[in-house]
Amino acid sequence: MLAPMRGEREASIWVVVPAYNEASVIAPVITQLIKLNYAVIIVDDGSTDRTGQVAALAGARVVTHPFNLGQGAALQTGIKLALQQGADYIITFDGDGQHQAADIARLVEALPLHDADFALGSRFLGASVGIPSSRRMLLKAAVWFTRMTTGLKVTDTHNGLRAMTRRGAGQIALRQNRMAHASEILEQIGRCGLRYVEVPVTVEYSAYSMAKGQRLADSLLILFDLSAQRLHR
Amino acid sequence: MIAQIGLTVLLLWVIAYAWAEYRRAPLIGTVAVLVAAAGLYFVWLPAHASWLAAFVGIGRGVDLILYVWLVISLTMFLDLHLKLRSQTEVITALAREIAIANSLSERSPGVE
Repeated sequence: MLAPMRGEREASIWVVVPAYNEASVIAPVITQLIKLNYAVIIVDDGSTDRTGQVAALAGARVVTHPFNLGQGAALQTGIKLALQQGADYIITFDGDGQHQAADIARLVEALPLHDADFALGSRFLGASVGIPSSRRMLLKAAVWFTRMTTGLKVTDTHNGLRAMTRRGAGQIALRQNRMAHASEILEQIGRCGLRYVEVPVTVEYSAYSMAKGQRLADSLLILFDLSAQRLHR
Repeated sequence: MIAQIGLTVLLLWVIAYAWAEYRRAPLIGTVAVLVAAAGLYFVWLPAHASWLAAFVGIGRGVDLILYVWLVISLTMFLDLHLKLRSQTEVITALAREIAIANSLSERSPGVE
């Protein structure tokens, strides 16, 4: 939490974690967030395992999609609920254990410091532990594409760790249900003229997160989704 | 003449459909109207189709008309895809509202 000034109330920070079949890894993720006094929303995206029950037992607030919609849809659900609960700052955080809860404080502190609406985690300014070279190349290509299409000078585009102010969260509306939401957020930041800052973070790759991560075919699907969205209102 | 009338009816139907779709997907609507209008033109002036086909290296005018029809079909497929996307967005919004409402009611057991 941000330390309040005299006479100020403590800022309310909500961490939104989309989760689909993460029962085996979600509990330690929630535990480390709760230890740091963050309010945690787990969006159970129609899991077929016990993700929701495990998350509730670990102390998170759980909101459950009636069926699987995709990570982008889960994030938008969590953001909407956090806004309804009066969140001052909203964090998006992956449920597969690749992010560090300790990075959240730096992201949140960067928002008022830079008068920004979004603080975007960058593994390429920070550290990416155990990242395979093929994944690094794929992410670099995504960075190049995003720079070309949005004009934003970002160094990392598909990092699920980001912080936003209440104002920033209210300005974006994710329509991309699947993985293209990461590019969509940046596109909306650029289109709405929202201020952003990049903050170094650490991403730790494990065999589990690699197995759930994106592949080249997913990247092509993202490109198709982004192109198709531009063709209709 | 029978084939020309049949194709004309079909292409007019395509134009009407594309016109109706214009508000939802302006680019798709415009492309479909233009291609269908070109198809109508070539159906009634096949000599022009033959000349244009030879000019762009397709071969016969009838091949050009087939290609035009192919473009119309693909445009329709794309339009159907976009309609499905729109439906998905509606379903997503509904599922989201249900999920949030359920979450809130679980937190407030006394509230119906």
